[in-house]
Amino acid sequence: MQIFNDYKDRADFLTVYVREAHPTDEWQMKSNVKDDVCYAQPRNLSDRLAIANDFIKRFKYPLPFGVDDMNNAANDAYAAWPERLYVIDENGKIAYRGGMGPFNYNPAEVRAWLAARYGEVKHPEAKPTEPNKKETKPGQDKS
Amino acid sequence: MWIGISLGALLLVAFVALSVMAGGPKDALYMVRYALPYMHRGKLKIGDTAPDAKVFAVAGNETFHIRERTGAKPLVIVFGSFT
Repeated sequence: MQIFNDYKDRADFLTVYVREAHPTDEWQMKSNVKDDVCYAQPRNLSDRLAIANDFIKRFKYPLPFGVDDMNNAANDAYAAWPERLYVIDENGKIAYRGGMGPFNYNPAEVRAWLAARYGEVKHPEAKPTEPNKKETKPGQDKS
Repeated sequence: MWIGISLGALLLVAFVALSVMAGGPKDALYMVRYALPYMHRGKLKIGDTAPDAKVFAVAGNETFHIRERTGAKPLVIVFGSFT
């Protein structure tokens, strides 16, 4: 996750794993079958933790990680499902609230927020950032 | 009768539109069944106090609160799942 690498010294990051979006026993996507990402919706915390650990191992995911409780408290508090981004400022206030994924999940907006605060991190080899270009996140586009 | 036909046509158009958006008729049905109940816009807005919630460390034997991670620097939170 390029944003994490670029700003990890200036901002803290936390990934919170919430209930599955496309499990095998609900609305499974063909792309997940193709990528061999096939899990039933966890019915207990042990299953939820196991999937979270699989995700971290498979992608060598570097961000600090938390797993939502089975009562989905974090999900409900943040209207998080299926995926959403936030920035919380130093005073504990919401500074950025992203749209509901996948269509309105936009890491470029988080990057813009961080760049406005700390300056843009440029990558000489990188092409200019497209407005809706997605970056690595749980759920999709992990390359 | 025309009201019934109009409503039927509207429902058909809505279903076709949903099918295109979801990827197919079956996906449209699954979307209504499994996704819509969990899609919430929520009431949080910029400037609101960030809510707290207990989450588990991946090892499963410890918990922490999201708000414990706030304060020193801005906190970027990524919510999502594997699938």
